[in-house]
Amino acid sequence: MLQLNDITKNFYGVQALKEVSLSVRVGEVVGLVGENGAGKSTLMKVLNGIHQPTNGSIEINGAKRVLRGPRDAATHGIGMVFQEQSLVPNISIAENIFLGNEARFVKFGRIDWRTMNDAARQQLAKVGLEVDPNTVTADLSFIQRQMVELAKVLTLEEAVAGNLCILLDEPTSMLEQAEITILFSVIRKLRGRAGIVFISHRLDEVIEISDTIYVMKDGAVVSRMEKAEASPSRIHHLMVGREVAASYYKQEERQRPEKQIALKVRGLTKAGAFEDISFDLNQGEVAALVGTEGAGSEPLIRSLFGLEKVERGTIELNGIDLTNVLTDRSVAAGVGYVPRERKIEGIVEEMSVQENIFLPLARQATRFGLFDFSRMAKKTNELMGKLRIKAPDRSTPCVNLSGGNQQKVVLARWYRTGARLFLLDHPTRGLDVGAKEDVYSLIREICAGGAAVILIGDTLEEALGLAHTIVVLKDGMQTARFDNTAATPLTPLDLIPHMV
Amino acid sequence: MTKFAGTIPWLGLIAAILIVAAFDASFLRPMTLIGLFSDSATLFLMALGMTWVIYIGSIDLSLQAVAAVSSVILALLIPQYGMVAIAVALVAGVLFGLVSGFVHGVLKLPSFIATLAVGGIAATAALALSGERSIQIDATPRTDSLSWAIGRTLDIPNEIWVSLIVLALAMVIEQMTPFGKAMKALGSGEPAARIAGIRIQRTKLIVFMFAGLFAALSGVVLAGRLSSGSPTIANEFLLPAIAAVVLGGTSLAGGSGGVLRTLVGTLLIVVARTGMTFIGINALAQQIVFGLVLIAAVSLSAGRAQKGIMK
Repeated sequence: MLQLNDITKNFYGVQALKEVSLSVRVGEVVGLVGENGAGKSTLMKVLNGIHQPTNGSIEINGAKRVLRGPRDAATHGIGMVFQEQSLVPNISIAENIFLGNEARFVKFGRIDWRTMNDAARQQLAKVGLEVDPNTVTADLSFIQRQMVELAKVLTLEEAVAGNLCILLDEPTSMLEQAEITILFSVIRKLRGRAGIVFISHRLDEVIEISDTIYVMKDGAVVSRMEKAEASPSRIHHLMVGREVAASYYKQEERQRPEKQIALKVRGLTKAGAFEDISFDLNQGEVAALVGTEGAGSEPLIRSLFGLEKVERGTIELNGIDLTNVLTDRSVAAGVGYVPRERKIEGIVEEMSVQENIFLPLARQATRFGLFDFSRMAKKTNELMGKLRIKAPDRSTPCVNLSGGNQQKVVLARWYRTGARLFLLDHPTRGLDVGAKEDVYSLIREICAGGAAVILIGDTLEEALGLAHTIVVLKDGMQTARFDNTAATPLTPLDLIPHMV
Repeated sequence: MTKFAGTIPWLGLIAAILIVAAFDASFLRPMTLIGLFSDSATLFLMALGMTWVIYIGSIDLSLQAVAAVSSVILALLIPQYGMVAIAVALVAGVLFGLVSGFVHGVLKLPSFIATLAVGGIAATAALALSGERSIQIDATPRTDSLSWAIGRTLDIPNEIWVSLIVLALAMVIEQMTPFGKAMKALGSGEPAARIAGIRIQRTKLIVFMFAGLFAALSGVVLAGRLSSGSPTIANEFLLPAIAAVVLGGTSLAGGSGGVLRTLVGTLLIVVARTGMTFIGINALAQQIVFGLVLIAAVSLSAGRAQKGIMK
């Protein structure tokens, strides 16, 4: 139904897309993979009419078309679920779903809310979301919002007569297994009258759901393969030009933690989030918090940093009480937090690489109260080399860096301050394979230096690959705790019964 | 874009000077330009305090009232206490800043409301203390205690020296200290600053205290120049001060700009104003020009495009 012919897109002299050709048939799921910056998102924006191609043409149902914007694309049956969420937070779900298309609900000059809510409920049912469409969107969890986003795009099913093409830009990067299952069943149902383009960093998922897979590298399609020919290692190889090492999680670099307790958590309780959480963490130990979305890992890790208040319990790091302190106290005591929302909470986008690295505990880099710039420059260059931060130089504003490099800057910051406890909240989310490996190496090194790590992994495999200890949470309660250093490795199947 | 915002005001300043000089070459005489600069010192000092407030993404509408109350305190105390009166006037400014910073940073009211209210209090205090009139400063205390501000050194008015010294100190604080980077991080995005362990409330308090200090200094210098303290002495200073900051290229969205930019912005405003008078544009039309230039400056300023819609 959709055919791209030799699409090229230049931005200020940089070729973001090089003669990309791609076709999507009805009933087909096309997987699109590539490292960060390979051009996937740019291609999606061309398909959605946000960017105009510099060269090349787009054919829809056999006719050449120029797409003037998302609305124009929608009239041709092309809908997109965005990687960055596009919902308005302070209006209801129903209003969001039909934003800009309220006309069909207008009766006697006013909106018939009941009909709109009923229609919204139908859309939500398609994605298996059972919430009142009157709910204010901001009250939903991230995953629920993602599902609403999908439901919004699915209104095209009723609005457009012909075939559809649904673009999904990393829809699973934030989802837990259960939601991914729902998403995949929705995708499979949609195939009846739609072609799907599916972007993800999780290659096993792409292979599972796709019929055809396109691999992009540096703005060009380097390979197109059928599902039967695809394997994660083959795709990896094409994406990054190297085989994935068997030692993906750097397990050989994993060391025994020291017998010295770093973090003591006792009876930590926050109503509606988690209850009576107690554990010890040794120096050099990685503990992974696992659980389904909403199980409490997220608020727990934020409470440990001082971003959320707890009602009961104590947090003690190397003998210092850190219960309900402000973040400046926890940072001073040696806690470093790598947040999930990298762009909002992680880096300061306008600040340079060096400024970002020297943001916390900046006093360490001063002499008589003034910055010692030559020492800072040396340290920054050293860290950029060590973590392989790709940027023109240390004064480049972080807004111009790719996601993976931004994340490395956040990690470099806490590595620089010599943090004793690293709180890593989805540290590899949205990162390409190469950047992930760099992050794993760094985690190993942090531990070797005697710092403790609490990790919320992107996948169960990641948690199992990295952690010495697995703490399983369910509905805010700790349901199990595993030693992951035994001779027979744990598998996700060992954990899942305690999660659901 | 950042580069753009950095050079445009300088080019604008040179262009403005050349345009005025084309009408009247005497404008280019060093004495005229030096006089222009020394006349703009009080506006510059107030704009300096405003710069950091805007740099962290807030605004301070109390500064002209703070300058006025400081001038009144100075005029009242100087006959008896001499230099100590200056210290009291400056401390008063810092305290008003502290209150603004507390209401905004700790009680979390929007800064424009917080400072509008504090400005009202300061204005009333100035009226009450002065008995609603202007208070003369006699020649003797003026020369004894204020010559550092209004005399001449090396044949250059001391207002210029004071401005340059304060600017240099402010640049060091802004560029070379952790506090300076904390301000930038705060202006760029509070959540990220919090995660980096920056003391947000403390930073806000200090920024507003600096703004109060610089405004009070502006009031003191102004009182010295005019030989009087008055509750209305700094009226019509607030908007030019904000305009100087923005024209210089400090973004109203916060996170980019700085005190050096404000020097250019202030000179630009003063040259434009004097120049228009030189050329013979009447005062009403000047306001129109200022309005248009301000809109143009804000739309070109760095950081605005990144942050999208402004409210």
